[in-house]
Amino acid sequence: MPQEKIKLKNLEKRIDAAKDQIADKNSPNIKPSPLGQVMKLAVEIVAAMAIGIGIGLILDNYFDTRPLFTIIFFLLGSLAGILNVFRVAKSMQNN
Amino acid sequence: MSAEKTPNLIDPIHQFVITNIADIKIGNIDISFTNSSQFMVIATMAIMFFFILGLSKKSIIPNRFQIMCELSYEFIADLLRTNVGDQGRAFFPFVFSLFMFIFFCNLIGLIPYTFTVTSHFAVTFAFAGLIFIGVTVLGFVKNGFGYLKMFYPSGVPIYMAPIIIPIEIISYLSRPVALSVRLMANMLAGHSIIKIFAGFIVMMGFFGVIPLAGLVAIYALETFIAFLQAYIFTILTCIYLNDALHPHH
Repeated sequence: MPQEKIKLKNLEKRIDAAKDQIADKNSPNIKPSPLGQVMKLAVEIVAAMAIGIGIGLILDNYFDTRPLFTIIFFLLGSLAGILNVFRVAKSMQNN
Repeated sequence: MSAEKTPNLIDPIHQFVITNIADIKIGNIDISFTNSSQFMVIATMAIMFFFILGLSKKSIIPNRFQIMCELSYEFIADLLRTNVGDQGRAFFPFVFSLFMFIFFCNLIGLIPYTFTVTSHFAVTFAFAGLIFIGVTVLGFVKNGFGYLKMFYPSGVPIYMAPIIIPIEIISYLSRPVALSVRLMANMLAGHSIIKIFAGFIVMMGFFGVIPLAGLVAIYALETFIAFLQAYIFTILTCIYLNDALHPHH
């Protein structure tokens, strides 16, 4: 049954083409404004620092060691913020 | 936005005040029905109305409403497929409702005399916090304790672990904060700017035409931001879901 085979092959080709089309659409064509991108980075760094300081304050209250843990976790939070910014910037570059 | 004459004409924060509509109290917990809850209900009703109207007549040649419904479905389905993969299909209902709710809340907030639900940190953080807890639980359920490997990237020398692990944990914990602050700050800033510009129009009298033109442009931008922020919130949810389902990257 060569005709059916040809039909099947045609179908396969069409499926592949459709899949390629979907893959092409992979990167959504919505580009955030530059202001939005700056905002994203700023929020990222502030959030990490806030979390760091929060953890530090909680630990200090618990162990009565103010300001030891606040300082340590402030530094760790800042580092985490920089790491976050680095990751976001990297993903922006890939787009 | 308040129309009554206030001593201070430009009062951009007044629009975010929460007022009780019906006082409800259970024990000492105040669960009053506020204007915020009112607009959440309105947003939900609007979404239901939108889909009932759009999908009531299912025709092969769709009318405009049906096209909008189908487009919104395809948009989120595409987003999930590209960011999470086939496993993400199980989470489609959740992600779709999340997107539609935030999008409609943002849009309804742009209509004068309404209230923007998403301009309050309590609301956005409730979303982000629930997503964060859900995604973390999901990560542990799917990967067991292997999920903890996410905090220790491969290829890092062992003596760096005491520094890297706390940093990664803080970075992980900062996700819901960043997610919710971003949405809240965008809405808050946008609506304040609109209000301030509207105040300029009144104050400048005849020359108020100039800020009026600016206001039209800002409104267009805000409409775009209303969509963009809902989109960013959704896409980040997808990315976190993806991290939970396939943690090794």
